[in-house]
Amino acid sequence: MRKTSGKQTGLIFFPAFDWAISPTHPEREERLLYTRDQIFEEGIIDFPQIAEYTPSLATEHDISRTHFCVPGVREQTTEAHLIASGAAILLAEEVLSGKIKNAFALVRPPGHHSMRVVHGNRGFCNINNEAIMVDYLRRRGAKRVAIVDTDAHHGDGTQDIFWHDPDVLFISFHQDGRTLYPGTGFTYELGGPRAFARTINIPLPPGTTDDSLLYVVDNLILPVLGDFNPDFVVNSAGQDNHYTDPLGSLKISAQGYARLTEKIHPDIAVLEGGYAIETALPYVNMAIVMALAGLDYSGVQEPDYWPGRFKESSGKTKEIRRIVEELLKHWEKRDRVAPGSGNIVGKFYQREKRIYYDTDHIEENQLEKLKLCDHCPGYLTIDSAANRGYNHNKVLCISVPITACSKCCSEAAELYHKSKKTTSYNYVYLQDKAADIFYSFESGSKKERSLER
Amino acid sequence: MYVGVDVGGTYTDAALLDGGRVLATAKVPTRKEELIGSILEAMDNVLENVDKSKLKKIIFSTTMITNLIAERKFDDVDLLLIPGPGLSHAYYKLKPNIHILSGAIDFRGRETVRLNEQEILSTISEIAGKGIRNVGVIGKFSPRNTSHEKYVASIISGKYPEWQIEVGSRIASQLNFPRRVETTYLTCATRAPYRYFINSVRQALEYRKISAEVFILKADGGTLPLEGSEELPVETIFSGPAASTLGVLALAPPGETAVVVDIGGTTTDLALILSGEPLLSSKGAKVMEQFTQVRALAVKSIAVGGDSALKKVGSKISISPNRLGPAFCMGGPAPTPTDALRTLGLSTIGEREKAVEAMAILGESLGMSAVEAARIVTGQVVDMLTAEIDNMFLEWEQEPAYRVWEVLQKHKVRPDIIAGVGGGSEGFVEQIATKMGCAPFIPAHAAVANAIGAAVAMPTMQVSLRADTEQGYYIIKEEAYQEKIRGRSFNEQKALDLAKKSLIEWAARYGLEVKPEEIEVTHQEVFNMIRGWNTSGRLIDVTVQTPRGIAYKVGNGGY
Repeated sequence: MRKTSGKQTGLIFFPAFDWAISPTHPEREERLLYTRDQIFEEGIIDFPQIAEYTPSLATEHDISRTHFCVPGVREQTTEAHLIASGAAILLAEEVLSGKIKNAFALVRPPGHHSMRVVHGNRGFCNINNEAIMVDYLRRRGAKRVAIVDTDAHHGDGTQDIFWHDPDVLFISFHQDGRTLYPGTGFTYELGGPRAFARTINIPLPPGTTDDSLLYVVDNLILPVLGDFNPDFVVNSAGQDNHYTDPLGSLKISAQGYARLTEKIHPDIAVLEGGYAIETALPYVNMAIVMALAGLDYSGVQEPDYWPGRFKESSGKTKEIRRIVEELLKHWEKRDRVAPGSGNIVGKFYQREKRIYYDTDHIEENQLEKLKLCDHCPGYLTIDSAANRGYNHNKVLCISVPITACSKCCSEAAELYHKSKKTTSYNYVYLQDKAADIFYSFESGSKKERSLER
Repeated sequence: MYVGVDVGGTYTDAALLDGGRVLATAKVPTRKEELIGSILEAMDNVLENVDKSKLKKIIFSTTMITNLIAERKFDDVDLLLIPGPGLSHAYYKLKPNIHILSGAIDFRGRETVRLNEQEILSTISEIAGKGIRNVGVIGKFSPRNTSHEKYVASIISGKYPEWQIEVGSRIASQLNFPRRVETTYLTCATRAPYRYFINSVRQALEYRKISAEVFILKADGGTLPLEGSEELPVETIFSGPAASTLGVLALAPPGETAVVVDIGGTTTDLALILSGEPLLSSKGAKVMEQFTQVRALAVKSIAVGGDSALKKVGSKISISPNRLGPAFCMGGPAPTPTDALRTLGLSTIGEREKAVEAMAILGESLGMSAVEAARIVTGQVVDMLTAEIDNMFLEWEQEPAYRVWEVLQKHKVRPDIIAGVGGGSEGFVEQIATKMGCAPFIPAHAAVANAIGAAVAMPTMQVSLRADTEQGYYIIKEEAYQEKIRGRSFNEQKALDLAKKSLIEWAARYGLEVKPEEIEVTHQEVFNMIRGWNTSGRLIDVTVQTPRGIAYKVGNGGY
């Protein structure tokens, strides 16, 4: 355990006041304007408990450790993306090295809908800030990392990236996928064959209130975190559970957010979604900063809130308790569930996925194969074909985990070199996390690029 | 002809300038108990045999307010706060004489909780019962809507017309409630003694038949007419470092990036000039460990000076933050950095034999010669100061940035020159410059550079306007003036025009003439408010100011 007493909470506030997806898009300049007003006027940045940092940019190398950007990182990111993910990395490094006790990257644009392969923007996200930070942390020596995604939308991107990783626990609660984008995140989504129950999804019915949410935290999230015993806890902090959110239908208050943060006790929180820019964000962000810094947050309250304002039906309360029971049973069976034989082909576990990019109208089909290795989590290949209008891109992505055995490393490298010779792909990528070197090869020009430290 | 007077902790300096020429300088000891006497003595020195009718301007930089605050010699003040929801009120109640009122305004200036008249009346009675006659009313988000503050103030003045009342939105119009509370408190507390001070100055000048315009230097390096400064006494705090920075600006080649090193008796003040512009502190002056909204130059005070006492601690030489008296070579009781410089021949202050003796005593217990000890001492001082200078540049580079372009344009800056001012800088500045790989610069008249800085200072005023076209109002922050916007044609250009007009009028009330074409726009921010898919309004923030800088450059001295 890192020593935390007497240390400060690190804060990077990067509202990107000069960046928008489009002028009227929810991800626009104005999004964190009122949050700025509230935080500045409260004057909490002057408090000795808080240290404000200025962000730095993530590098192409940092991003390639997590993503396969098609065709490359530069085409899929703007400087704002690099700053947002760079801010998360900078703060995580400060926490890891013990300079600060915890941190909040209050940044935009968000990232938790970005998956491992990136053909475009999904759910307002291009690159996954938390995932990039987690891969950085693992490179820096953190062995086990837990991500608690508290955005009202299922963190399907983060889930995709760590699906097969036994050392990264991904817990997401969100509004039931039958009622909200992206339509996933059900209790049966539990992770890959070598990482069973390292993915836990808690779908909450619309109308869920503070009390039930905190019940889930106390009775499911905290015990699971306790068992997993991570070196580092990340909170993907979406603010759209708020009772005024225009997209979501949950009924969480600023006080609920503060208690949630206090209980999860993350090493770092990274802002995700939340688009009630006047009625929720100023209050929720204040509450989170105060809870992290150990300041008394009891006075933070929305103008139209009073304790007991929201009540959920007893049916919903029962349903939430049932979900907690079900997931606890799955968690008990972790490490003891064999993959279904229907998905095993030779020495590989495989699955097909269809991914839709709502913002950029791209349809992607993936065939994902995991090498079932007895010595390591196994390397992963993704055969991906994406259509955007008349544009068609077919790519092969090979990912070698940081804890890969030497056999998996050399098999993956061999596959990469072999695939470069075929003409079936526009691009072939090798992401070697064990060596921290990332290659991309363009078939048309036969050009290869490598990114290393 | 201009006179600049700088009242420092130890000395009061004066300089008489005509255009770019220094005609006379003076240095007299500061008598803390009788500041006006010291000011007049220094002034009389430089004005001897001068035709007083040719004197155009007198500019003071004074520690008056700094001393008042440090010694807590000010009036009792009670504060009525309207903090509303947010940070727990327990944090505000930590301070004495605080009364919390109900009521709240949000970030858009909308009332979210009403005032409670009964509560206001009973609070005022309580204050009256204590015998306090001096109060400040400060609301959270009052710069966005001044009505709560003004209403409370009007109730007080209705009941007790003789009370001194100040509202936060007029004193401190930036967003930061705790800093607004602190600034308003200090303003209320120091107003009466400050008024007494300027009246005394005025009388003394009348007695000498001096009718020149009189200005007072502010922490940000600008000036205010003496009369107008009555309203904003706290602005004059920490004007000393501003004076020496302006002095370097006047005496150094133009456009340089410079570190101003002002080595005094027990402290060294460091300030930065970036490409010819003095760097302002991003957070406002810190007074008694509390940030305020007073605009100030970014100055760092280090507890080491020419008279710091040196002693042996273990096997090392330690520089104590205390002064036991003057340097040994000046007849003082203990070895000091000044003695070390004298021993090495890097300064000409004091008696050489006494300096060597001091270093020999210090060195003996450590088994080293006087010269070796002197080298170690100067090395330590230089190391300390260069580390702090590096830190200042680093802090500047790491100032938070809230826009993509601001992050991208961040770059490393290193100084061209290290400029030494004040008495004891000479010997150290050369070594600091060598260590940092830049040129040393000791201006002519370095010993009175601060008085020269005061003499070349110019008036500065700024006006900030915020408009919320959806709600249909704008506020001129410095005047706590709120007005409705009529019609739909209000835009950024109109906001700018209004701000400029207001600046010109405001300046005129202080007897300053400002030409529209000289006005600088220092901040301009526009946000479209989108509700649904439509633009429902605009939030416009602009800040304009009179040009910053110095009246003219002085001579070309230094090396």
